[in-house]
Amino acid sequence: MSATPFAEVLAALTRQRGVLGSMVVSEADGIVVDSNLQIGVKGNVVAALAASLYRKARLSAGAAGLGTANFVQLEAERGRVCAIGRGDLLLVTVAESRANVGLIRVEMLRATQVLDQ
Amino acid sequence: MTIAVVENWVEEPLRRFVSDARVRLALLLHPSGQVLGQSGFTRAVDVMSACALAAAIHASAGELGKQLDGKPFHVLHHAGKERQIFIAPAQTRRGLYIFLSVFDRESSLGLVQLYYGEFEQRLAEAAPPVEPEKPVLAENFERDLNHNLAALFGRA
Repeated sequence: MSATPFAEVLAALTRQRGVLGSMVVSEADGIVVDSNLQIGVKGNVVAALAASLYRKARLSAGAAGLGTANFVQLEAERGRVCAIGRGDLLLVTVAESRANVGLIRVEMLRATQVLDQ
Repeated sequence: MTIAVVENWVEEPLRRFVSDARVRLALLLHPSGQVLGQSGFTRAVDVMSACALAAAIHASAGELGKQLDGKPFHVLHHAGKERQIFIAPAQTRRGLYIFLSVFDRESSLGLVQLYYGEFEQRLAEAAPPVEPEKPVLAENFERDLNHNLAALFGRA
């Protein structure tokens, strides 16, 4: 199977310190389009739930009159889930607590240029 | 959320699935088309139609899978403009059942797939063992018949 257009940006994201994996997910379906995950990360589960979370966050931001939600970060006890959307696609990153979220955000914003194409 | 079940062991797994996956309709049926449990339907006639159609779709898709792939297709998903259907088999020690679910933008295929996996596991765990068939004895026949008819028409 040939690599998708997302393979390179996903690999670059997952190379970041503390990042456990990254995925391109269909926002409406919550299905993984492409992923680069470390062993032990349940890609399908995270994708389905992160897409649901992002949809709800987007609707909440809209309902509150705040416009479009462009970056969603969930901080949990042992790590973070970050999501950023472009069109029908969503870029999701799973990271440990020690990961530099600022750097991840910059990388994710850069990676969304590929989603735009 | 209104759940109606013919067999009690179906209720809890079905309730959890509907609550977790946020689906509009859910239906568990025997491949013959007999309903075991449902959520979201308001009219009996709709349940009967859905059961007949789901059983037919499952049979057709199974046969198509055998023709194309040598084995029945496992899961069927059909996306409409507003609503989507998800049909999948659920194996228990009491045999194979068919599960049908209808969802909209409140849920997603990923969520339905995710929680369907948990539902299938819970259903398999909840299914009681099959009881060996008892011989129909003349002295019990009328009582059993009346009991079954009463159960069937909701008078038990």
